[in-house]
Amino acid sequence: MSAFLAILVVGIGTYASRAIFIVALAGRQIPGRVLTALDFVAPAVLSALVIALLIDDSGNVSIGWPEASAFAVGLGTAYKTRSHIWTLAVGMAVYWVVRALI
Amino acid sequence: MSLDLKTKREISRQAITDAIPLEIPAIPFGLVLGLVITESGIDYLVGWSSSPLIFGGAAQLTLISLLGSGSAWAAAVAAGLVVNARHVMYSAALAPTFQHQPRWFRWLGPYTLLDQVFALVTIRPDEEPAAFRRYYLTAGAMFWSFWMVTVALGLVIGPVVPTEWNLGFAVPLMFVGLIVVGINKWPKVVAALVAAGVTYVFAGLPNKVGLLVGAVVGVLAGYLIEVNRR
Repeated sequence: MSAFLAILVVGIGTYASRAIFIVALAGRQIPGRVLTALDFVAPAVLSALVIALLIDDSGNVSIGWPEASAFAVGLGTAYKTRSHIWTLAVGMAVYWVVRALI
Repeated sequence: MSLDLKTKREISRQAITDAIPLEIPAIPFGLVLGLVITESGIDYLVGWSSSPLIFGGAAQLTLISLLGSGSAWAAAVAAGLVVNARHVMYSAALAPTFQHQPRWFRWLGPYTLLDQVFALVTIRPDEEPAAFRRYYLTAGAMFWSFWMVTVALGLVIGPVVPTEWNLGFAVPLMFVGLIVVGINKWPKVVAALVAAGVTYVFAGLPNKVGLLVGAVVGVLAGYLIEVNRR
């Protein structure tokens, strides 16, 4: 039930973030500074998430050779293809191969 | 002004044709989300309900992964909300267009304001309100129904996939892809690196609070560079 509540809260917050200017502040200007800062939200949050998802129960970041190689190749793939789906496909392949080898 | 039937059909057809290529990449995304739900220990139906309730893949993935990995409730919710904060920018960008729309659409439209829908409607030239509304609603409905089905499929496939495959690693990997694809200026690289570094340093903090510290410092770093280079 607490998971459902979490989903509900994020759902309401997500709708609010999508609706805020369209519904409530249609006529107002957003301060330029706020827009500048908002622009960095996606890369910063996603990047922090990548690390956070690799933290194990004892509070250490667990990155072995399979993860490190997959990230390195994934970065290259993303840069070349501009596609997160190719990143996923190639990165996972590298991850499995390196894990099988060591 | 109302549209005639032929125009209506044409607009709907255009919206569907435009949406399909953007939906294909959502297939693995939705499948991974379904899988993560099955591995999180959260009730399947509750996990799936995040699709109609949140309707945003990255935030759903963040929230479910963090809840499943023993993160504190408040930290998981905060992270999910922060991930979706970018939609404020979309809302701001489309507000002028929506000013000419009826009230019901101003309330309903934001519900399907995904990255993809935003991308589609912003590359369309200014059009008549009724035509815009039809296009937006058709594309939104397409993405909505597609997403509900894909995540449900992931739930079905999830338990069949062996745990040794460690498909959970697909989540940080896909985020790396999303970061790189979204980078269009170098201060964003700095924001991403600083956020990762700070989160790493604060990894020992309970309940993954380091994530929020890292994100805030990352945004700040990018902002300061951007302001100072102007």
